[in-house]
Amino acid sequence: MKNYFLRRILSALFTIFLIATITFFLMKSVPGGPLTRERALSPEIEAVMIERYNLDAPILEQYFDYMKGLVTFNLGPSFAKIGLSVEELIWKGMPNSFKIGALSVLLIIILGIPIGIISALKQNKPIDYFVMFMATLGVTIPSFVLATGIIYIFAGKLGWIPSFGLNSPLSYIGPVVALSGYSLSFVARLTRSSMLEVLRQDYIRTARANGLRELSVIGKHAIKNALIPVITYIGPMIAAILTGSFVIEKIFAIPGIGRYFVESVTNRDYTVLLGITVFYAAFYVIMVLLVDVAYALVDPRIKFNK
Amino acid sequence: MDKKNWEIVDPSRLTENEAYRPSLTYWQDAWRRLKKNIGAMIGLAGVVLMLLFGFLGPQFTDFSYSDQNLDYSNLPPRLSIYKLDEDLWVYLSNDYKLLRVTEKGKLIERIERPAELNPRAVIDKKYIFVYGDEEITVDFSYAKRYNDTGEGYRFTIIYRGTTHIEPDKKVGNRVYPFGTDKVGRDLLTRVMYGARISLIVAFIATLVSFFIGVIYGAVSGYEGGKIDNFMMRIVDIINSIPLILLVILLMVMFERGGLWTIIIALGAVYWVGMARLVRGQALSLKNQEFVLAAITLGVSKRKIISRHLIPNAMGPILVSMTMMIPSAVFTESFLSFIGLGVSAPMASWGTLANESLPALTTYPYQLFFPAGAIAITMLAFNFVGDGLRDALDPRLRKG
Repeated sequence: MKNYFLRRILSALFTIFLIATITFFLMKSVPGGPLTRERALSPEIEAVMIERYNLDAPILEQYFDYMKGLVTFNLGPSFAKIGLSVEELIWKGMPNSFKIGALSVLLIIILGIPIGIISALKQNKPIDYFVMFMATLGVTIPSFVLATGIIYIFAGKLGWIPSFGLNSPLSYIGPVVALSGYSLSFVARLTRSSMLEVLRQDYIRTARANGLRELSVIGKHAIKNALIPVITYIGPMIAAILTGSFVIEKIFAIPGIGRYFVESVTNRDYTVLLGITVFYAAFYVIMVLLVDVAYALVDPRIKFNK
Repeated sequence: MDKKNWEIVDPSRLTENEAYRPSLTYWQDAWRRLKKNIGAMIGLAGVVLMLLFGFLGPQFTDFSYSDQNLDYSNLPPRLSIYKLDEDLWVYLSNDYKLLRVTEKGKLIERIERPAELNPRAVIDKKYIFVYGDEEITVDFSYAKRYNDTGEGYRFTIIYRGTTHIEPDKKVGNRVYPFGTDKVGRDLLTRVMYGARISLIVAFIATLVSFFIGVIYGAVSGYEGGKIDNFMMRIVDIINSIPLILLVILLMVMFERGGLWTIIIALGAVYWVGMARLVRGQALSLKNQEFVLAAITLGVSKRKIISRHLIPNAMGPILVSMTMMIPSAVFTESFLSFIGLGVSAPMASWGTLANESLPALTTYPYQLFFPAGAIAITMLAFNFVGDGLRDALDPRLRKG
C-alpha cells in the first residue's frame, strides 16, 4: 500500500516536471518573444530588457534557470502587467478563483445528486421528465452562453444581481450557477441512470422482500452503490472546475487566475501564460492524485500490487 | 400402436413449420433498432438539417458572410415601424438612424441627416432628417427620463406637424431575418457560415483523432506487454493535463489562428480518449478464437489489426465519435470565444457569440442565434449518440 502511494506521488511529480518542460520549450518555439510589441521598443531598452531577463542566454541555461525558479516558486516578471511577478498574480487571483470553484462544486454535489436520485425514484413521472429536460438543456448550453444569459436577464433586465465582480454575497450567484450548470446537469443525469440500474438489481428486490422500509432500502442499500460512478466522475471534475473557470471569470470580470490567464493569451504575455499553465497542470495532477488516493483508502476493491 | 395415426407426409409440406427470418448483420440490426428510437431519429434529422443549413443555406441568402453595409448595422430581426404617411413607413434604429421601410418590413433606404441642419443636435437632443422636401424630426430628449425611470417613451418622431409616439406596427425584418451585426453583416448568413466552420472543425478534428486514436489504441492493445505499458504511460501523461490548456497552448504556439490550427490542436488532444477505448476493445478481442485462427493461418499483424480488431470494435468507436463531435463544437466555440478561433471576417458560432458580448443588453438577438444554433447541434448529436449506444448495446437487444 505504501508502495502504491509512493509510486503514484513519484509519477505525479514526473508528470508535472514533464509538463513544465514541454510548456517551456513550446513557449520558446513560439515565433516572436516576450518583447515583441506592436510598437517596437527602442534598441537601448530592448538591450537592457534582454540583459535583465537573461533572454540571450543559451536555451538550456534559460531552461535550468526556469526550473530552478519553478522549484522555489519564482516564476519571473509579467511583461504586460508591469511591476507584477507571475507568482504575485497567482496569489492575488487564487482566492477568488477558488471561492467560486469551491462553491460550484458544493452546489453540484448538494443539488445534483439528490435531484438525480429523486428523478430516478419518480421515473416516468412529470417531475422526472422535467428534471431530465432541464438536465439535457444544461449539457447543451455552453457555459459562456449561460453566463451571458444570466447577466442579460438577472443582472440587466431584472437587476437582481450585480453583473460583475465579487463584492457582495449576491454577486457570487451568477458565476457559480454559470460555472456549475454543465456539471450539475451531468451529475444529475449520471446519478439518475446509475440509480435506475441499481434499483433493478436483485439485492434491492431481496431487501424489499425482507420487508425493509423503503427509506432504508433506498438510503442504505441503493444509494451507496449508485454513487460509485458518480464519485468517479466528481473527482476529476473538482480539479477541472477549480482550474476551468477562465471564461466565467472573464465574463463576470472577476479578478481570478482564470482572467489573468485569458488576458495573457490575448496579450501574448509569455511568462504569465507559462506560469499559469504549469500552475494549473500541477494543481490538476495533484487533485487527481488526492482523489485517487482517497478512493484507494475507501474502496476495498482497488488492488495495490498491480 | 395404431397405424391409422401415422401417415406419410407429402414432401411439399415438410417446410411448413419452419420459422424464417431474414438474417441481419450487426449493422442492419443496429439500424433497425435505431430507427425505432424516436429521440435518435429526431436528433439525426437535426444533424442533417444543420448540415444543410450550413452547407446549402448560404446559396439561398442574398449576402455573403463578409458583406458589410454600415447603413444597416445592428438591425434587429423584428422592427418597430412608424407610419408617417400613406406610403412612408420608417424604422428608427437604436443609434438613431432613420430607415425607410415598406409596411411588410422590407428595407428601402437610409434617410439622410444633413450635417448643416444639425449643428446643435446633441445639445438640443434633436435630429433632423430630410426626406424629399420634408423634414422629419426625431426628438430624443425623453430618453434620459425613460432610461432612469423606465416610464414614458424614449423619443418622438415629428413629421408634417404630427407627433408619432408609439410604433404603429411590429414586423419581421424581410431583408435580414436574423438581423445584422455591428458592421451591418447579415446574421443569418453568418450563422450559416458559422455552422459550416464549426461543423467542419468538429468533423475533421474527430476524424483526425479517430485515425490516430484507433491505430494507436489497437497497436497498443494488440501488442500488449512492455510496448502497451509504455504507450499507455504516454497517454496517461497527456490525459493528466487539462485538455483545454493543451489546446490553448497549441493554439498560442501556432500563432496564426486559422481553421487548420484549431483542427490540428483539437485532433492532437482528443485522440487520447479514443486510444484508451480502442485499446480496451483490442485487449478483450485479441484472445478470442477468430483472432487465434487468423494467427494460425499466418495472417500478418497489420491485417489482423485492420481486418479483425478494428472492425469488431467499430460499435463503441462510432458511439464515442458521435459524442466527440458535439464536444469538439463546444471546445471550438469556447476557443473562439476567448479569441483564439478563426479570424475575422470568418465566423464560427463562438466568434459570433463573442462579438455579441459588448452590446449584449442592447442587441441580445446577436447572441441568441449563434447560441441557439450551438444548443440545437449539441442536443441533436447527444440524442443520436444516446440512441446509437442503445442500438449497439447487445445487452439491450431483444427479439
